[in-house]
Amino acid sequence: MRKYRFLWAALVAINAVPMTTIRAADVDQVEYIVSSQIVSDVVTGNSLTTGSSGEMIASGGGACADGNCTGAAGGQGGMLGNGTNFLAGARARVGDLRQGGFAGDIASGCVPRTYGNPDLFYNYYTQGNCNGTNAQMYLSPVPVPANVGHTFYTYQPFNPQEMLYWHTDRFHNYYDGGRGMNHTKVHYFAPPIRQAASNIYWNHLRIPR
Amino acid sequence: MKRKLLLVIALAATACFPGANIASATDPYAATMLWSNQMAAQRAWHGNYYYLPYGQPTALIVPPTAHMRQTLSWGVSQNLMYPLNHQFGRNASQPGAMPTGSFQATPHWPSHTDQFGVYYVRGPW
Repeated sequence: MRKYRFLWAALVAINAVPMTTIRAADVDQVEYIVSSQIVSDVVTGNSLTTGSSGEMIASGGGACADGNCTGAAGGQGGMLGNGTNFLAGARARVGDLRQGGFAGDIASGCVPRTYGNPDLFYNYYTQGNCNGTNAQMYLSPVPVPANVGHTFYTYQPFNPQEMLYWHTDRFHNYYDGGRGMNHTKVHYFAPPIRQAASNIYWNHLRIPR
Repeated sequence: MKRKLLLVIALAATACFPGANIASATDPYAATMLWSNQMAAQRAWHGNYYYLPYGQPTALIVPPTAHMRQTLSWGVSQNLMYPLNHQFGRNASQPGAMPTGSFQATPHWPSHTDQFGVYYVRGPW
């Protein structure tokens, strides 16, 4: 009796362990997080380099849609004193963090206070190397002349492409070096009855023309 | 006896389930996304015709859950379905617009839906 119980427990354990580990791995691989920490807002091939004065400089295409591509290197305080661990870590997200005034000695490892400086808007583009030409998603359907001007959504959950299909998304924003996080969970759905009525009309009643 | 039978069933279940666990991905679109990305990397999103009002091939955004596109041609008639591989992504890609004359115009007597210069691209997830 006891033997069977033990075997049973062992079986349960065998079944449970791989499931938990695999699921955790899946969650890691499949992450629909749309963070504001976008690596770059300029053309592919852009690289962050450290200038002679130690400032972070975003070099590359030169096109900078919202003007924050160089981070706050030239702004308040400036990220001086390269070589510290903090700056090495901050390197990838230099465009997303803005540093406030800091009187301490960064070179000795003191961590300055930073503020979120996310992209206001990031466009989407067609992907791949065989395109010859590429389309940007906004403005849609076609770009307008520069002197016309345009607006864009700065709040990602309101982006029109999210309204295209029924889903749930979480929008994350990390701050304080990843120790703080805001998230917004959004359910995008169509009211089922109204949708069904609309489908009946558009698919069955409407005269095709 | 019953208990033994149960044990045997449980053993059989254990033998079957590890594989099932691995296959139980949390993301049902993972495999198709991979296929789509691979296919899209080897093909252009457009069909070399420009959209007359704009002068460039023009992307028509469809939901990312859309699977297939239908092409029609007449004269020698065709009615073909292709998977919708291309999807908008975050990488800013070069080049953008091409100089005038890089693409073909819609013929005076169009014979294929691709010739109108509007091509489906799925929106981002």
